[in-house]
Amino acid sequence: MNEAYALEVENLTVRYGGVVAVNGVSLKLKRGEIRGLIGPNGAGKSTVIDAISGRRASTGKVLLDGREISSLNVVQRRWIGLSRSFQRTSIFPAMRVRDQIKVAAARIPDCDVDELLEEFGLVPFQDKVAAEIGYGDQRRLDLSLAFLGKPSVLLLDEPMAGLSSEESRRLADHLQNLTRNWGVSLLLVEHDMEIVFGISDVVTVLESGKLIAENKPDIVRADPHVRAAYLGSAA
Amino acid sequence: MITLQVLNGLVYGSLLMIMTSGLVLIYGLRRIVNFAHGSLYMLGAYVGYTVSLYLNPWAALAASALVLAVGGFLLDRYGFRYLQDRDPLTTVIVTYGLLLILEDIVQSFWGKTNYTMDAPGILRGSVEMFCTSFPFYRLSIIIAGAVITGGLMLWLRWSRMGLFIRAASTDPVTTAMQGVNTDRISGGVVALGAALAGIAGVIAAPFLSLSPTMGSDILIDSFVVVVIGGLGSFGGAFIAAMVVGQIQTLGAVYLPEFASLLPFCLMLAILIGKPSGIAGSRV
Amino acid sequence: MKYSMQIFRAAALVVAAGAVGACLPLLITSANVLSLMTQAVIYAIGTLGVGFLLRQNGHVSFGHAAYYGLSGYGIVLCSKFLGLTTGPAILLVISLTGLFAFVVGLVIVRTPGIAFAMITLAIGQVFYILMAKARGFTGGVDGLVVEMSEKIFGLSSNLFGKPGSMFVVCWLTLVLVVFLLSLLIRSRFGALTEAIRENEERARFIGYKTVVPRAAIYTVSAMVCALAGTLSSLYSAFVSPDSLHWSLSGSLLVASLLGGTSLLSGTVIGAAVYFLLKDVLSEVTTHWMSIIGVCLIAVIVFWPEGIAGGLSRGARKLRALAGRS
Repeated sequence: MNEAYALEVENLTVRYGGVVAVNGVSLKLKRGEIRGLIGPNGAGKSTVIDAISGRRASTGKVLLDGREISSLNVVQRRWIGLSRSFQRTSIFPAMRVRDQIKVAAARIPDCDVDELLEEFGLVPFQDKVAAEIGYGDQRRLDLSLAFLGKPSVLLLDEPMAGLSSEESRRLADHLQNLTRNWGVSLLLVEHDMEIVFGISDVVTVLESGKLIAENKPDIVRADPHVRAAYLGSAA
Repeated sequence: MITLQVLNGLVYGSLLMIMTSGLVLIYGLRRIVNFAHGSLYMLGAYVGYTVSLYLNPWAALAASALVLAVGGFLLDRYGFRYLQDRDPLTTVIVTYGLLLILEDIVQSFWGKTNYTMDAPGILRGSVEMFCTSFPFYRLSIIIAGAVITGGLMLWLRWSRMGLFIRAASTDPVTTAMQGVNTDRISGGVVALGAALAGIAGVIAAPFLSLSPTMGSDILIDSFVVVVIGGLGSFGGAFIAAMVVGQIQTLGAVYLPEFASLLPFCLMLAILIGKPSGIAGSRV
Repeated sequence: MKYSMQIFRAAALVVAAGAVGACLPLLITSANVLSLMTQAVIYAIGTLGVGFLLRQNGHVSFGHAAYYGLSGYGIVLCSKFLGLTTGPAILLVISLTGLFAFVVGLVIVRTPGIAFAMITLAIGQVFYILMAKARGFTGGVDGLVVEMSEKIFGLSSNLFGKPGSMFVVCWLTLVLVVFLLSLLIRSRFGALTEAIRENEERARFIGYKTVVPRAAIYTVSAMVCALAGTLSSLYSAFVSPDSLHWSLSGSLLVASLLGGTSLLSGTVIGAAVYFLLKDVLSEVTTHWMSIIGVCLIAVIVFWPEGIAGGLSRGARKLRALAGRS
């Protein structure tokens, strides 16, 4: 596919109750790009992910590999290659790890369950019930379910939440490798600044639902508006 | 003629309102769907009946409320408290088991015959209203229903205890962390809920008479009301109780064969459209 | 173990169990005992229907008695109005039940938790009331006699009324149902529905549509109950609205919880135990309801996984002892 952008979001707006959680956000993700999405608490980052993945109703356009998917539901979006992970680990607690992956892989032709288990370090736990494995391992399971079938675009909602800095660093390296090797494009919401600035090609900053900065990590890091947004929210 | 039936509908609706207040209180605080609520109602009615034979109907009311309140408190203290964190199915089964036990108790002490109970002396007779003659006792049921539910809602809204109860219903953990003794409150609330069921039973006895199936009869209607109104919502239950009361009564007169279908059809229609019920809530 | 090996092993168990059960009437001569056993087996099949729905979908149904009872009425009405002989009537009724349940399932599986249970209660009661009130059609509360044609599927219809032969029929049906359900549970479809039960949202985010699979499970469970109801009406040659009442649904649900849903054998044993317990107790004492109530509470509080849980634990311990793990 020769589309310039893996993911395009145009004027995304999410309203619920009387609140405008996301206000006219637009972004374009190149193929193979790692995009960091940061912002103070309540900026609307998770909501953006919810809206793009179809979990939450929104106005505006979403295009995947050049194709408009705004009217598709969650199941349909996954089928054509838009996948996501969850901030609060979302797995199948009573099922064994291997069985979960098998079920998920069943709908994808030529999906190698063993490769996935290896890739995400789940081989030692494959016969254990998911509720019984450690938190970090559960997070990797959540991620592996999202990466299944090598989707075009992956939306990751705070994948490092609750992990130690060592685990976070390892995961960050892993994500970078996967992105290069598997050709997926990544939109990453994360609070750990070191990680985000470390692996992102471009960083987008949200505040109160609006996009306030978007540039290479070093430039964003030095941007006074971004600092103000974080300091403002901390004050 | 229709005025009379509408009034009768208000009577049954008021009764349902008293019953479902108890259910809503218990569900709100302990997240427990009390399958035994109809049996508590029945127990209240039979206890009231026996007391009224020896004393007077007012003592019957008080005795019934007291017995049920104590029972409710014990039920919460030694039962519901340990069950609220379990799978909701567990509490359904436990309260169903309780239903069986209570039915057996009632049948053992009072047998399977139907009984009638007379209304208190001063509430007998009829009154002229809206061009029709209406038994005064039934009017007093409507008044009682209004007073009890109104009082309950006001108390919950404005009193300190009411505030604690509403807080505990919304978020028991945080409320407990704030220093409110949620277990003691729950004990009180379940006692109140059970007492309300008992009171409903005593009030209903002169109107509907006592039978071994009176528990399950009203249980289904109560559940229909609570579910239509939205679990945990008093306002929703009120609207639903009035609607179901009218449907049952008018239906019994104008569509006798299939009257009992109507509440279920209504429930189906509402649940399929809006599973959280009229007022919407935690399903 | 490979899937095909599993099927082979299960099939062997099925044949063995079937053979053992079929021989029981040769050993037990008391008609009363055989009759009780027959009814227990029918009850177990009904419980499997309710328990399977609980297991695969996590759905609690208070309305499955409707499928149980309607099948009996369906057979009578098919004979009366369509002139069908009993055999074809049975096939038609169970198929129509499946179709109806599928449509109902498509609508109601989307509703969450308690609302689902209440909807099933309402549907069940609607049918109960219809059957109880439509005297012209259904004989009302008095019920209907089931007149059977001479032969049902090539067998003499007398066989279905006698405790000994009917026990064999019911037992073989039970074994077959257990076999088919276990195939379904172990299949990919079974794994999918378990995943959906565990986390419906995530299943959708993996790309699975979730309404049709759950409706399919609901349909299977309804058809199993309909099968039980068919056997019941053939055995007693009678149908009445009581077989649609929510108390029967509740009873089946309780039996499935006592038996536990993690193992099909647990459900079956639990159902049989519950049924026989109720029967024995009601003859011995008038307080049987209290005793059942107390037992119920005790089991669900202390052994929430029911008999099946105990069996699984026992099996695990045995396997550990045998050196495998």
